[in-house]
Amino acid sequence: MHHRTLPDRVVDILNAAVLAVIAFTMLFPFIYIFAVSFSSLSAFSQSDLILWPEKWVTDAYEYILESEAFIRSLYVTAFVTVAGTFVNLTVTSMMAYALSRPITGGRMFQFMVLFTFLFTPGMIPTYLIVKATGLIDSVWSLILPAAVNSFNLIVMRQFFLNIPNELNEAAVIDGANDLQIFFRIILPLSKPALAAFGLFYAVSHWNNYFAGLLYLNDPAKWPIQVVLRQIVVVGEPTATLGGQHLLENPPPPETVQMAAILLATLPILIIYPFLQKHFAKGVMLGSIKG
Amino acid sequence: MKFKRFMTAGLTLCLAASVAGCSDNGEKSAENGKMTITAMKYIYGDPPPIDGPGLKKINEKFKVDYQPRFIPEADYDEKLTAVMASGDVPDIVGFKGFGVNEMKFYTWAKQGAFLPLDEYIKDYPTFKMVPDYAWDAMKVDGKIYGIPEYSPVSEVTPVIRKDWLDKLGLKMPTNYEELKKVAIAFTKQDPDGNGKDDTYGIAMGQNIDPDYNMGAYWDYTAWYHKNEQGRYIPGIISDARKQLIQFYADLYKEGALTRDFALMSWGDVNSKEFYAGKAGIFIAAPQGMSEPYMQSLLQVHPEAELVPIPPFQAPDGSKGFRARKPYFGMTALSAKLADQPEKVKRILEMIDFGRKFYPWEERTPDNKDFDWLWGHQGEGYVMKGGKPVAQKPESQPRTYLPDKKGWAPSLEANRYSMEYNVPQLANLTRQLEQMHVQTKHYFNPVNGIIPEIEQQKGEELRQFLINEQTKMIVGQRPIDEWDQMVQEFLNKGGAQWIKEMNEAIQAGNRQGFWK
Repeated sequence: MHHRTLPDRVVDILNAAVLAVIAFTMLFPFIYIFAVSFSSLSAFSQSDLILWPEKWVTDAYEYILESEAFIRSLYVTAFVTVAGTFVNLTVTSMMAYALSRPITGGRMFQFMVLFTFLFTPGMIPTYLIVKATGLIDSVWSLILPAAVNSFNLIVMRQFFLNIPNELNEAAVIDGANDLQIFFRIILPLSKPALAAFGLFYAVSHWNNYFAGLLYLNDPAKWPIQVVLRQIVVVGEPTATLGGQHLLENPPPPETVQMAAILLATLPILIIYPFLQKHFAKGVMLGSIKG
Repeated sequence: MKFKRFMTAGLTLCLAASVAGCSDNGEKSAENGKMTITAMKYIYGDPPPIDGPGLKKINEKFKVDYQPRFIPEADYDEKLTAVMASGDVPDIVGFKGFGVNEMKFYTWAKQGAFLPLDEYIKDYPTFKMVPDYAWDAMKVDGKIYGIPEYSPVSEVTPVIRKDWLDKLGLKMPTNYEELKKVAIAFTKQDPDGNGKDDTYGIAMGQNIDPDYNMGAYWDYTAWYHKNEQGRYIPGIISDARKQLIQFYADLYKEGALTRDFALMSWGDVNSKEFYAGKAGIFIAAPQGMSEPYMQSLLQVHPEAELVPIPPFQAPDGSKGFRARKPYFGMTALSAKLADQPEKVKRILEMIDFGRKFYPWEERTPDNKDFDWLWGHQGEGYVMKGGKPVAQKPESQPRTYLPDKKGWAPSLEANRYSMEYNVPQLANLTRQLEQMHVQTKHYFNPVNGIIPEIEQQKGEELRQFLINEQTKMIVGQRPIDEWDQMVQEFLNKGGAQWIKEMNEAIQAGNRQGFWK
């Protein structure tokens, strides 16, 4: 460790200051949401900016946690996230592994993956397929149409390419078949990759609202994001130029909106720290190897 | 080559699957001899469960298998587009009477997606009550494609804090000069008497919204004024509008208009400005007012009293506000029903039933039809103080009906003020109702006229004018450049817009009128 000069220290302090400011801009919305969600409606409308509730009021949370729809949608989303991520990882890793080995037709598949990566079908063709396969009104419509993300597939294939073929050969000599090689050798070596992509997939399942809205007509099957959007967007009536100010139902108070946002974000937020160490390794996948 | 074959096979498979998917729908009505009726409509608030007791009651009464789907209004356009594009048009499609959704109604009607209803409209009691100018707005190429949903004539109009007027010893303003003085007094003379400089005149949000027109003469959405060639022009480029923008600019300079209005959302104007007791002038209507908002104002200022500002006498002698569009939305039927007249009749019966208007005296459990619509006393509603109070929306058949707004014979028949439990709000709405009953309204000649240029450029053109006018209010652009701005607007396509609108007005043989 070399001797720290004054300029070094100045740079450190500046660094810390800048990073603190950036970190705060990220944290600020959360603090605001947190504070408003625990404030009373009158306190909210009286002050310009709340960063800490004056008086702790839990009305908003009681209101939400009593509502059946919110809790039910949390279960739906939990299911979609767990089952969806499982399907994603299974299909993606299997396909990526297969494409990383010399197989017949591999090039063509690779081309098609790349093709769907560059040219995604729009909303309506996808809707037609979901409808034709009878998935409308089933939670699987949130999982199957997005079973593989082509970008993730390409990166994962790149990762598998770095696993030397000699390992395969050694395994074959020991009498392992293809599936055994995949499950007992390749996958255990790929934990960082699985953790990273699992997180990507899980977060995207958790945050997805549009598919739910499009494919599910039954509000009882809605995922949390659709319900959340319902709570928050209804509170912000479209102040279009036509000036359509008259609503059938008055918007829910802002405090309820904020509480809902917090409750809908918390569960997925909690997962981050547990995957942190894999994640840091995982996102470097496909870059230069030492 | 191999690749090509693969792609072809894949495509064929997809196509086959989608064709199969389409064909098994729509015609499975034979089950139990019941008609299957599908419907799609937007909903404000939460959609009801898809198998509520209210729905079962409808199925029993009308002997149908009714399958309505209610989509949150914010996402309705996208969802409906996907469903319509899939070729599986629901039997009943509900539309909003404004914005993109309204345009889609006319577009799809033109493309032949819906059933012309002209031959049916004389057969049902609630359809007969619809005035001709409302049917006119439902027409595409001369045919009626929608059933208008009831909307009262009473538009939102300016209201004022009477307690503040009284406190400062001011009179109710009768022209813009007086209104300006009042707004400035609200800003500088501490009308709430708390010794702090925390009040101002007029609450406003982004897009110069709400519109403080004191009559159709100043209304920016009204096609009221005419140019030298005798063509209607949109209010937003009229001299009356220029005068109004000057008025806003003067107030802004005095701090009597919401300071950062250009960036303020409509929700914030309500909750953080007017109903937080900061501003003295806002807008209201007899219908659709929010009790929680009013309560939050009363928490800060228990003595708050809101009263309507009556319309001003315009320079041309007219006096009165613009009437709201005569439809809140519209209900269309699928063109596929053309060869199923029995089904059409059953559907229209259902629609008609939901549209029957009951005066307050008849909204009781003794009224069988009403009791059924509201899901029976004790189940769907309870009587409180002589008024029905909805309990479980899913138990009420009306929740599931495509059109549940009673078509009132007149504005006063509604007696909207009875709906409110906050006395101050009931008071305000009663006065608003009186004002609307006593004054005339201007009926816009452009309702339901959406020429192609409106769809392509209407929004962009309006936004351009709103942006320039916002600049004029805050002083970034001098108001002397008004004519220049109008010219820019005309050059950007405004001239074409005015031309096409006027052609359509003439083709429909319409004109603006007072009533």
